[in-house]
Amino acid sequence: MAAGVGRWGGLTAETVRSVKHVDVWSRLLLQQMAKIGLDSVPIAVFIAVFTGIVLSLQASYTFTGAVPLYFVGVLVGKTMMLELGPVLTGLALSGRVGANIAAELGTMRVTEQIDALETMAYPPVAYLVLPRVLAGIIMFPVVTALAIAVGIGSGWITALQLLDMSTPEFVRGLTLFFEPFDVTFAFIKATSFGFVVTTIGCLFGFHTRGGAEGVGKSTTQAVVVSSMAILVLDAFWAVTLL
Amino acid sequence: MNRTREALVGLVIVVAVLVTTFGVLWLQGVTWGEPQVEMEAVFDEVGLVRAGNAVKLRGVQVGRVREIAVDPGGELVRVTFRIGEGLTLPEDAVMVLSPESLFGDWQAEIHPRTRFPRVTFPEPQEADVLPGHALPDISQLTAAADDISESMLVLTERIGIAFSEETAQNIASLIDNIEGVTTQLSTLVEQQAASFAEVTDDVRQATQGIGSAADQARQTLERVDEIIARDEVESALQDLSAIAANMRGVSAELEGTNREVREMAEQVEATFAKVQGMLETVESGEGSLGRLFHDPVMAEELEGAVSELQLLLEDIRENPRRYVRLSIF
Amino acid sequence: MSIRLEGVYKAFGEVRVLEGFSLEVEEGETLVVLGRSGSGKSVMLKHIVGLLIPDRGGVWVDGRHVSELSTEELYLLRREVGYVFQFAALFDSMSVSENVGMGLQRLERVSRGEIRDRVEECLELVGLEGFGDRLPAELSGGQKKRAGIARAIATRPKYLLYDEPTTGLDPITKAVIDRLILRMSRELGVTGVVITHDMESAYKVADRIAMLHMGQRRFLGTPEEIRATEDPVVKGFIEGRPELLENAS
Repeated sequence: MAAGVGRWGGLTAETVRSVKHVDVWSRLLLQQMAKIGLDSVPIAVFIAVFTGIVLSLQASYTFTGAVPLYFVGVLVGKTMMLELGPVLTGLALSGRVGANIAAELGTMRVTEQIDALETMAYPPVAYLVLPRVLAGIIMFPVVTALAIAVGIGSGWITALQLLDMSTPEFVRGLTLFFEPFDVTFAFIKATSFGFVVTTIGCLFGFHTRGGAEGVGKSTTQAVVVSSMAILVLDAFWAVTLL
Repeated sequence: MNRTREALVGLVIVVAVLVTTFGVLWLQGVTWGEPQVEMEAVFDEVGLVRAGNAVKLRGVQVGRVREIAVDPGGELVRVTFRIGEGLTLPEDAVMVLSPESLFGDWQAEIHPRTRFPRVTFPEPQEADVLPGHALPDISQLTAAADDISESMLVLTERIGIAFSEETAQNIASLIDNIEGVTTQLSTLVEQQAASFAEVTDDVRQATQGIGSAADQARQTLERVDEIIARDEVESALQDLSAIAANMRGVSAELEGTNREVREMAEQVEATFAKVQGMLETVESGEGSLGRLFHDPVMAEELEGAVSELQLLLEDIRENPRRYVRLSIF
Repeated sequence: MSIRLEGVYKAFGEVRVLEGFSLEVEEGETLVVLGRSGSGKSVMLKHIVGLLIPDRGGVWVDGRHVSELSTEELYLLRREVGYVFQFAALFDSMSVSENVGMGLQRLERVSRGEIRDRVEECLELVGLEGFGDRLPAELSGGQKKRAGIARAIATRPKYLLYDEPTTGLDPITKAVIDRLILRMSRELGVTGVVITHDMESAYKVADRIAMLHMGQRRFLGTPEEIRATEDPVVKGFIEGRPELLENAS
């Protein structure tokens, strides 16, 4: 565990140092942004749609009688922004992105492609890790923003269609306790999730040993560890920032 | 990587930035295109109003509260708000803060000062700054109702001593009623407290004014005992009128908030008025408590007062959300 | 100058792979290093380009002490060395042309046109003309290996390191690759280190042959000398007679 954190710290430091090889990573950044961000939009949106519906229905179920219905808007908005938007997107992407990175780099490691990069004078961290980490840091908040918007939208539609609420009612709830910090908080979370998911994926990929089985093991570990890291970070931000 | 994918990445980023920017502005209540003016109001204290709450003029939302800050020195609270340009405010306008829905969301209403004759507003130094006042929270009213019925119980118990058997029976059943009302009221409050953690504090923190009025009432009523014993009727009546006047004062304070609150205050005031009327009947009679207490009218009066309370209680039971404040996040 | 390994020790945990291995490769020659599978040949080769750092001892290339170079200096050194990996190690996500052009892109003052021409030239040299647009997954084992060689020679390195270039290939492809190694050395004057346990290729391409056994150099000499050797370990290896090896140890 401690050794793992140490290795992760080492890789992170190396990643930061690699920023100077702009010529190496800059050409790959856009490609990774597409792979990590663009390709994750469908799954994030899919999750958000259903989260919004469920939040809306469960809120109205919980509030029966005692609390006015416009609080559905409060609950959907706050929960999507503060918690479910960033965390569910983060978890989904840790599966998709983290696993993908670990498997890809793991395969490159066991088939000596990373060594090959080195022999061709490409610093592997600048070539493989940095573009992925940067893409994660940039694209996780982007995907999360879309997920939050879609989740609130689907909660809204649900409220109109299934709960007999009106748009002004829902919007009233939505705006009632809204603070711009909610959005900042979501972005802080998403950015940190993007960072840990990509660095952990790269870490396990980089240290893969033992052929196809090793790749499988790294991939699983990457997903498990980055999911745990997301939940721990989630709690950390809640404790420190709220 | 082909061009389409590059363009899609760009598009997704642009969409996310736009959604976030406009979403935040919209949720903050920024209005596009409508010119607004910024104004200020000063308060002794601002209750639970916060940035983003609605500013209303004649019941219609015309803007939002932007900022709340304590003045240097800490004597006043300054509320900055924006309303649509070109609105004509009432002559000698004041800003009154009150609960909008009893769920922790408040509103700031602009009214002419004349609607609040009993309220003392802080006087701002600057010309275009509105004086303001925050009305008491509704939960304080429920607590007051509890106190009032308790006082009435004590009052009727004391008076009961001097009654004939027949009237005493009437009164006794009344007392039972009032007792029932009181118990139900406090049970209800307790139930609410169990459901919504925050409410207990608010209910328990009944207004100081009402509390002291009730205390005074209790003290005086204890004196009534002695007075009846010594037949010092005149001074007893004076004391009772003083209590009633006190209660009226309290109800007046609660007056003139938004509609729900006002209705509620009217009910309470009507109850007080009846109590006072009752006492006036006693006063204008022939100076003998014993005789007046034989008067069945008085029993009816008390009964009316009780049924007022009963109505209030039913209202609370049917619409608990009106009387219970809840803060979720 | 050329390549010199001196008393190199390397262990991975408990497993000691190299135990004082020394070797000097002269400029322009092709030196074949023999050894059984798992004897540490690849480990030795990786030390030359600084992919591995010796626990003890040193590696010098052109007089530069590899393990003491800064990252930048190491990258400069690596530009002069082409490395042919055992399983080609082509980048899966790139076409053959992109793979071959990778090293060139890293060099300053090489235009896109030049890269294209050089890639064409290298593919032609290894007999893969017309395969440039394919992905590695669409190539056979032999084609992959040839693509790997094309990638290694694209930057016109002074040194070429071959990690089992002919293992697992059919006789025809083997012959093609052996000829390629010879051409590199004869026509371009490249200094080569070839790791193999394929004696046929070794005799064909080697100027000198060394043998790595138990972490140390067991033999060094010309192909003629190795044929004539009486060392049971070397003899047992080149003639494929395990009983000789067993008797020796």
